[in-house]
This record gives sequence, structure tokens and C-alpha cells, in this order.
Amino acid sequence: MRGVAMVGLALALGAGSASAQSMRAFTTFRQLHGETRLQAKLHYLAGGLRVAPGRANELYRMDASYDEDRYRPTSDFNAATGTVALGLETAGEGGFRVLSRRQLRQDANVAFSPVVDLDLDITLGAVDADLELGGLSLSALTMQAGASQAVVRFSQPNRSRCRAATITTGAAELTMLGLGNSRCDRIDFEGGMGKVTLDFGGTWTSSSNAAIKMAVGELTLRLPRRAGVRLTLDRFLASFDPAGLVRSGNGFQSPGYDRAERKLDIDVTTAVGGVRIEWLDERGAVDALP
Amino acid sequence: MWHKRAAGQRDSGAGRRAGVSCLIAGVLALSAALPTVAHASPGSVATGSTAVELVRNFWDLVASQQGNDRQDRPPSQAIPPAAEGTPPVDLNDLTNPVEVETRLKRALAPKDGAIRVTVPNGTARRGSFIVGSAESLEGNLLVVQGDADVYGRLNGNLVAVDGDVIVHPGALVSGDVLALGGEVRDMGEIDGEIRALRSTTVFAPAAAAVAEAEAGVLATVGRRLAGVFGVFLTLAALGFGLVMFGRPNLEVVSDTVSHSFGRAFVTGLLGQILVIPTFGMLIVGLILSVAGILLLPFAVAVYGLLVVVGALGGFLAVAHAMGETYVRRRMAMGVVIGSPNSYRYLVVGLGALAALWLAWSVFGWVPVAGTLIGGAAFLVTWLLATAGFGAALLSRAGIRENFAGRLIPPEALTDEYLWATPQFGVPSARRPGGRTPTRGL
Repeated sequence: MRGVAMVGLALALGAGSASAQSMRAFTTFRQLHGETRLQAKLHYLAGGLRVAPGRANELYRMDASYDEDRYRPTSDFNAATGTVALGLETAGEGGFRVLSRRQLRQDANVAFSPVVDLDLDITLGAVDADLELGGLSLSALTMQAGASQAVVRFSQPNRSRCRAATITTGAAELTMLGLGNSRCDRIDFEGGMGKVTLDFGGTWTSSSNAAIKMAVGELTLRLPRRAGVRLTLDRFLASFDPAGLVRSGNGFQSPGYDRAERKLDIDVTTAVGGVRIEWLDERGAVDALP
Repeated sequence: MWHKRAAGQRDSGAGRRAGVSCLIAGVLALSAALPTVAHASPGSVATGSTAVELVRNFWDLVASQQGNDRQDRPPSQAIPPAAEGTPPVDLNDLTNPVEVETRLKRALAPKDGAIRVTVPNGTARRGSFIVGSAESLEGNLLVVQGDADVYGRLNGNLVAVDGDVIVHPGALVSGDVLALGGEVRDMGEIDGEIRALRSTTVFAPAAAAVAEAEAGVLATVGRRLAGVFGVFLTLAALGFGLVMFGRPNLEVVSDTVSHSFGRAFVTGLLGQILVIPTFGMLIVGLILSVAGILLLPFAVAVYGLLVVVGALGGFLAVAHAMGETYVRRRMAMGVVIGSPNSYRYLVVGLGALAALWLAWSVFGWVPVAGTLIGGAAFLVTWLLATAGFGAALLSRAGIRENFAGRLIPPEALTDEYLWATPQFGVPSARRPGGRTPTRGL
């Protein structure tokens, strides 16, 4: 009987501690004071993250709800260099919190001014991310994702020309939609392990190059029929179905590539897994026909 | 006595209900009683502009109606500087709001019933405070337990604790703004960064803080106890399953730990070091063999499973060996034990292993000692788990008995050995070969 009481006490204390998790609401933003460019570093370790264009009169804004026992918010703007560091960093205690997934949920909404040239550097830990970068004035994008599940969208055309988008993932599931709207001259992707979908749909305003390296996993390339696509493939033990691309020299290309006004050159290197080709119709939907 | 409500903000239930409906009438009355009200508002600063004053007092009235929902606020007053030797609160850097909050919590703790704080190059106010439209304030401003309304100009940073920051149209704050336990409404211009933590513990009463700290310790202890209890309950369940379905193998691994502990530990150590390279070699080998690629997912799963089973089974075997040794010693001392079987051995062994972690659960919060106990528990657990893993490898998961002390050396095969009739204390008698051959003969 005493043992049962002890077990009951231990469980009761455990249950009490389970409800002790304290989430804290944090908001940070900065008014726009004539800045024309912003270099933003977004470092987010765990939880849910959404990024979207914000108000024109605010340079940036972050609304976060975070676990104050394990994280603390970062918000540091340097007016001299025009850089801002946002996100959540560890508070140094670490350890596991054995609670339900819902209780662990941290969330952050980050917004950047659509009228300022944005050089965005995003580092994600174990994050469920939905990044809407369309409609921003993105001049460069760098993204590192660890064990994350991320969707990067360019639902609207980028307001300015983007020099390069460099994306590195570890064991992640990444979907990038509407890369044609990104207006990036060059897209570099390097993936470790996972499932990656790169959708090159959207409005292509210029030709572009993409270099894709994938170690182990499934790579899906969604290609626009309107643009001329050339694909060079270096694979070790990866399956590949050209699916409408025809062999040309040491690569594959879409019919009419030479005559196309906008050209998309893709260089794929992959070790183990598979490369899958899907075609996008005029509306940007996946076309069933090869 | 800052819990007392300011006279201008005093309300009643009826007043609250009637307040909103009388708002329009109040505005009209304000225009008539303007000078009086302007000075009655403790934090207000006269500007000389009637129109602006009218707007401002209208805002004060609205704010006072809204303020009824907030906790009681003290009247506006300057906070006297702290005594000499007390560190000041520097508000020049608001980059880390949590750190600023910690500093303020320390500095704003009432001493002898009064709050005293020194803000270098700045001002500290208690209760709602207004910077008038014609006013220009130099230096950082700290407002605690009240809203900070800025109509004019503030050349510095602004921090509000347990209150909102309202920068009105036409106002300017040249530095950063931080609201702890409030929000920032930026209708005017703020040159710096704006940050807000919606809740704050700066003014949590000391007793509540102590209770919170105590509850924190209790919660930590409870959480750890529940965790240790859960882990060892799971291990016991797994161990019972192992005894039920794989008793011979468990006993061989257990005997291997007992008879060849050093060898098992070294093997376990090497096993830990080589587990990842071996996995890599397996993967590469399968890939290079081309045909083996099909087996890759299966091999990865099986390898992972084997490692987990080896480590877990080995650890349970160590617990079994510890329990068996203890129980047999007790029996040798003449203690009557109801059922000296593998289930009991496991429970006793796991209990002994859990004891260290239970000690850590209870005393882990104690500085230094807690860390030492935690370190010791980890080290002992790792040592035993390593030996268990090694024993599982040496005995090929309990199939091979070479290191279990069960093989009788040829020199021991004498008539005396084979025909000896045990009298008493058989379990504790040490036979040639180093172990009582109660099983496997």
C-alpha cells in the first residue's frame, strides 16, 4: 500500500511538472526609416516558423511564442551595417522535456518589408517551416536546414532580381515551389538525405542555372514546359527517368531548348536514390503527360 | 502603499459600467475643466497647446477606463536613486530583453518597503508617466507599474515594466523601446528597435518567487523521479519478457559478465567504438556489391535492431548478474528467500542500478553534489552497460558459453568433483572453474 502511494505521489509530481512548461510571447519589430536594404539572419532552432512579406512601413517583425526554460529570443539590429539577427537561441539548459508534442510547440511569425532589398540567411534546426518569400525584394537567399520539414514558396514574383539562392539541407524534407518567381540568377542546392522537391514553376523573366547535389534520397524536379530545360546528370546508384527530355550530348534537354527565350540549365549530382521529372503546365499544375 | 489606486483612477463597479457610457459627456466636461484635470493627472506635463491638451486628456480618460481592467497602479512618482554600493541598471543595451528583465528584477526588489533604483544617464519613474508634446527628455527612461505615454521627444531608450508604451502621433523616441509585461503602440516615430515581452515576473512578490523556486525544485525532483521510475519500469518489463522467452541466453550473458567482466568491458568498449565504422562498412559493402543494394533497408533495420538488442539485453544481463550475486550471498548467509529465480534477480539488480539514479533525482538540484551524483550515476551505468554489451558480443547473444565459466576444465574432471555430495552452502561453494555449476550440468 505504501508502494502504491509512493508511485501515485511520483506520478502526481510528474503530472504537475508536465503542466509547468511556460511559453512566453515576444514581439520585436522596427519601423522603416528610409532603409533600402537589409541583411537578415534568421536562426531558428525548434518549433514552427512562418515567414512572409510584412507591412511596407516596418523593416521587419517577429512575433514568437517560445519555451522560456530552454530558449531565448534574439533581436539585434545593427544600423551601421544594416543587419538584423532574429530567431530563438538556446538558453543553455538543454535536456529533454518529455511532454506531448502540442505542449512543446513553439511558433514564430517573421515578416520583412517588401520594399527593401533583402539578403536573407536562414538557419533551421528541427523546424516545421513555411516560408513565403514571394512578394519580397529578395536579393540573395542562403538557407541551411537540419532535421527540418520546410516549404519555401514564391507564390508571387520576387520584386527584385536575386543574385543567388544557396540551400543546404541535412536530413530534411524540403519543397521549394515557384522557383521561376524567385528571379534568382543561380540556384545551388546541396542535400544530404531526405526528400526534396524543386518546383521551377512561376514566371521566368531571365535564364537561370541550378546546381543540385543530393547524397541519398529522392529528388523531384518539376520543370516548366514554357522554358527550355537542359539537364546534365551525374549519378552513381540513382534511378532516372528522362520523362520527356531527350538526350543531347552528355545531358538531356527539352524539345525546343535551342529556340527557347528563357533557358534553365540544371546540373544534378546524386549518389543513391532517384531523380524524378515532372512537368508543369501553363497554370503551374503538374502535368500528367511526360 | 503603491497598491492603493490613484484618486483619479478610483472606480467602483457601477462607475465602471457607467464609465463608457459617460465618455462623451466626459470629453465635454474635460474641455471645461481642462487646466484642473491636466494637473490632476500626475504624470502629465503641460504643453500650452489647448488642442493637444484636449486630445491628450481625452486619451487619459480612455486610458483610465481601460486601465480599470489592469491591476492597481501606484500614483506617478520619481523613483529615488539606489543606495551607494548598489549596482545601477544600465538601459543603454536592450538587445537581450530577458537579461534586462533579470537585471531589473534584481534592482527593483523592494528594500525596506521602498523601490530605489539608479538609471545611469536616465530617469526612473513609478506609475504612469507622460512626456508632453512640448517636452524633450534627455537620456534613458524607465517607467515601472504604469504606462509610458510619449507625445513629445525622448532622446534615449525607453523601458516600461508592467505597463504599455504608447508613442503617440508626432512623438519621437530616438532609441530602442522595450515593454516588459505590456505592449508597444507605435503611432509615432521610434528610431530604434521595438521589443515586447507580454508577461513579466519583475514584480512577482518575493514570497511568490520563493514559492515558485521551491515548487520548481519539487517539480524537478518529481519529474526526475517519474522519469527514473518510468525508465526502470520499462526495463523491468523488457527484462521479464526476456526471462520468459530467452532465459537460457540471458543466463549465459549474465554468467559471462560475472566470470569475464574485464574481458566483457574491453569488448564492449571496442564494440562502441566500432559500431558506427562497421555500419558504414556494411552500407558501403552492400552498395558496392550492387545486388546488395536491395538489401540495404533491411540491413540498416537489422543492424540497428541488433545493436539495440545487444545493448539492452547486455544491460539487463548485468542487472541479472548483480541480482543473482546478491541473492545467493543472502542465501549463503542463511536468509530464506522465497523464490530465488531470474525474475527476482532482475528486480534486485535493476533496483540497485536505479538507486543511484534515484539519489540523483532527489539531490540532483543541489549545486556541485547534484552534478557529482549525476556524473557518478552516469559513469556506473555506462560501465555496466559497456560490460553488458561486451558480454552480449562475447557470448554471441547468449549462444556461446566459452566465457561464462561453464566449461569444466579437464583438470577438474576428477572423481571427487563428479561424485561430491554437497552438504550445506552449496550455492556459495566455489567450484573449480570459478563458478557454482548449478545450471548447464
